[in-house]
Amino acid sequence: MKDSVRERAQAALQDDYLRNAVKFTTERLRSGKQSAAAELGHWEEWRERGRAIRLHTIAHLDYYLAQFADNARQQGAHVHFAFTKEEAVAITLEIARRNKARSVVKSKSMVSEELHMNEALAEAGIETVETDLGEYIIQLANEPPSHIIIPAIHKNKEQIAEVLSREAGKQLPAETSVLAQFARQKLRQKFLQADIGMTGCNFAIAESGSIVLFENEGNARMVSTLPRTQITLMGMERIIPTWADLEVMATLLPRSATGQKLTVYLSGITGPKRTEDSDGPEELHIIIIDNGRSLQLGDPDFQELLNCIRCGACLNVCPVYRQIGGHSYGSTYSGPIGAVLTPALVKNAAEWNDIAYASSLCGACYEACPVKIPLHDMLVYLRHRTVTKGRPDLQEKLGMKGFRYLMSDYRRLRKALRLGRVGQKLLSRNGVIKAKLGPLKGWHRYRHTQLAAEQAFRDNWPVLKQELNRSLAQADPRIEERLQAWVAKRERGNEYDA
Amino acid sequence: MTPDFRTSAPSKMESETETRQQAFLQNIANRLGRAVLQEKPLHPDKGAPRFWQEYRLDQQARIELFCDNWQKAGGIVHHFPHEREARQFLVQSVLDSGARKILRQDQPELAEWKLEESLREGQKLVCWQAMERTQALAEAAEAKIGIVVADYAVACTGSVVVASSAQKGRSVSLLPPTLFVIVPLDRLKTRLGEVLTVFENRARSFYPAGIHIISGPSRSADIENDLTIGVHGPGKVYALLFG
Repeated sequence: MKDSVRERAQAALQDDYLRNAVKFTTERLRSGKQSAAAELGHWEEWRERGRAIRLHTIAHLDYYLAQFADNARQQGAHVHFAFTKEEAVAITLEIARRNKARSVVKSKSMVSEELHMNEALAEAGIETVETDLGEYIIQLANEPPSHIIIPAIHKNKEQIAEVLSREAGKQLPAETSVLAQFARQKLRQKFLQADIGMTGCNFAIAESGSIVLFENEGNARMVSTLPRTQITLMGMERIIPTWADLEVMATLLPRSATGQKLTVYLSGITGPKRTEDSDGPEELHIIIIDNGRSLQLGDPDFQELLNCIRCGACLNVCPVYRQIGGHSYGSTYSGPIGAVLTPALVKNAAEWNDIAYASSLCGACYEACPVKIPLHDMLVYLRHRTVTKGRPDLQEKLGMKGFRYLMSDYRRLRKALRLGRVGQKLLSRNGVIKAKLGPLKGWHRYRHTQLAAEQAFRDNWPVLKQELNRSLAQADPRIEERLQAWVAKRERGNEYDA
Repeated sequence: MTPDFRTSAPSKMESETETRQQAFLQNIANRLGRAVLQEKPLHPDKGAPRFWQEYRLDQQARIELFCDNWQKAGGIVHHFPHEREARQFLVQSVLDSGARKILRQDQPELAEWKLEESLREGQKLVCWQAMERTQALAEAAEAKIGIVVADYAVACTGSVVVASSAQKGRSVSLLPPTLFVIVPLDRLKTRLGEVLTVFENRARSFYPAGIHIISGPSRSADIENDLTIGVHGPGKVYALLFG
């Protein structure tokens, strides 16, 4: 993986398949969400309620976590707490050791990506199999997910057929139904043989100690039904107080993620199987994980990050994500949420500084967010922190100093502009500037700059002011004519002879 | 129902859990700038917005909406005026399928249907009951058809709700490639919330270990956005409403 978001994006932009796939998928998900929200109606009211429930829960997080842990234990579950990823991994390995586990089947869990759980299990000699179709594909290809909902968005059918053929030991055709059928058969054996099933957790219900999973394939149900031991990895903020609150989350999450009214499966799991039950896990472990989340608590700028329900709607509307895809962000979480969450989760935020700049600050992410997290504001706060902490970019510092010097005196600005009008002639080609020199390089790679007008607005102002004063009620025919001419010109577009 | 405790002898991990939990919660309280909360907080924004909590459809509208949603999700739905017609349809479907092994929940409603009497030779109906785990899973893995009676159904989302128990295996609605869900009309609700709050008010000892809300066939769009049906769970799902 390359080391800056700029370089990673550069690579992504060269990949035509990736760009088209990301565009197509995000558009499909985005329009699905829009029609689902419109069909439901009262969308703003639902969002507001979702936000209120999440705000309330996070503000009382200690109470609800304690309540959850008590209730889950009363149902027979083992509840563990882990401050760090190392602790979470150690607890998992200890459970695996006690159960003499040799294989783990997993349903989708972003937290486990955060913990690098698969690598840790592999090191301990335990086979780990991702069972969500997309996750299975990228696991076999040894790549990280590139979209929170559709992890293998970046791979085409031929590439997938190649990856699965390797696993099958024979050539599989690049047909979706054949590939999916192969995965079904292969993974069915894995489900039935695995010692441990590992799941993530979409929500945890404090009042009953239940964990809740949303999914479409049925693999999370398999993972929580067939193996004897179940381990659920839960980010500590996944909690909601009651089943009644789940109705709001179930209304917001699937619609925002894929435009579905509900995912095909919504499962509430409360404790291990009952003594008389013939299936379901005999042992259920829930590991509640901090891993940097508490850093956002009590921080007025970032606490709302914990309200996130991981739907991916912000990715699908982001003009930057839609161009560069998920891998460019270089971490578990991509898109606008990833740009904020990644630096927020680590104490050493400096190494992730650059992704806060991979945004146009347009606010589309906030508009799309089902719980109204002001991500665009947070991106500005992150940039602000970078600057106040002393960003080592000398060029930017000098630029800002120069800007301040110029703008703090109008005579100075006027002089500079006059100089500029003369100076630009050196760089002008066909009426525009395209020179890729010094600080102009980044901009002029894909764009050009219009020349400054012959006469500045400031210099023209006395004349314009007189014209304005003369008549406002009825426009001067000469002005009218000029305006018409302008409009006509604009309709032809801003062409220039390149 | 009593929970199943299979805790091994307490070890370092267990003894650490309690102290770690306290430190964990204390850290949260510290970050929030207060002491750890002991009192249950007031939760005025609990549940769906008021307009939605009051939303109810009449039975005909519920049926139509359920059927519409179920079909749009890729499921097959039939509404029969009487139970016997639903049974007849089910029997015919099972006969036509040629499935050799059929698995049903051990529900009294289903026992009354006496399905085994109508099957063809070579077809075997297995009833889910307290079985040894490995055997139960093997039966479910071999079955081509699963038959369950829904605990509830929800019109607005086009869902059926099945809760687990000794008589109702989770695997029955999951492993066989074809699933029949029988829905008596008096169990069909308007909103999801009506069903969820049933569990909210249920005493702890009566909690089912698994509550599964199913809204159509198993699906995935992970390969090039192509919709694939039946990727892990059942690909053919029938909802048979009667009443």
